[in-house]
Amino acid sequence: MTSQTKPSGQFKILYFASATSFTNKSEEYLDAPLNSRELFDVLDQMYPGMKASVLDSSAVTRNLEYLDLEDDDPTIFQAGDEVAIIPPVSSG
Amino acid sequence: MEGDSGHISSGKPPSCVTEDGIQVSLTHELLDASQILSSVKSPSAGAIVLFAGTTRDTFQSKPVKQLQYTAYVPRALATLLDIARVVKQKHSLVAISMTHRLGVVPIGEESILIAVSAPHRQAAWRAGEEALELCKENAEIWKLEEFHGEEGVWRANRDGQQGAKVEKLS
Repeated sequence: MTSQTKPSGQFKILYFASATSFTNKSEEYLDAPLNSRELFDVLDQMYPGMKASVLDSSAVTRNLEYLDLEDDDPTIFQAGDEVAIIPPVSSG
Repeated sequence: MEGDSGHISSGKPPSCVTEDGIQVSLTHELLDASQILSSVKSPSAGAIVLFAGTTRDTFQSKPVKQLQYTAYVPRALATLLDIARVVKQKHSLVAISMTHRLGVVPIGEESILIAVSAPHRQAAWRAGEEALELCKENAEIWKLEEFHGEEGVWRANRDGQQGAKVEKLS
């Protein structure tokens, strides 16, 4: 499912802050295509407990645009996409 | 948000976006208050407000060793640009500059500078405050507070609460 090196047929996922701490990674590649509604479950299987402790309070972007994961019209992540997990922010 | 900073690849080091009367940047360097002041100066502006946020040595009375900031650079620059545009237009500013430091910020140094210039002071005060609040709420930047003899903690601005404990500081 995951690979650190082979991006073909895969999309990149970026982790920040608590997501980095939980996965111990800043990025990795996941198989495309993937329905955005399945993303959190896929990650929770890879990193048990991540959904409750990180993902449920995080937003998601695809190619720098925020997604509404509850939207009736889900996004399909394609090979080459850059997806990011955005935990609650804390600048200043 | 048009994502119009998408030309800045995420692999590039922290950088700067400018447009008419607007400058937003992310940097690992020391922040320079005189540079940001000059960037908003104008003969048509009678007021400049500068906000400097510095790192504090305690959180809920616990001594903080140091703070570390990380960002989703292209996304955060797009958000800062969006905030600058909105605030500049709403308060009829002459100029606005926002810069945030990344990496380790030792206690007492600036982590954020916001400068705004306007014809009159009321607009400048309000715009500076609003830009800061919007930044804290939305910019894709994260603060890790490291305490003496303890694990680091990712802070969340949203609820003002202490974030999740970090098991590994890699």
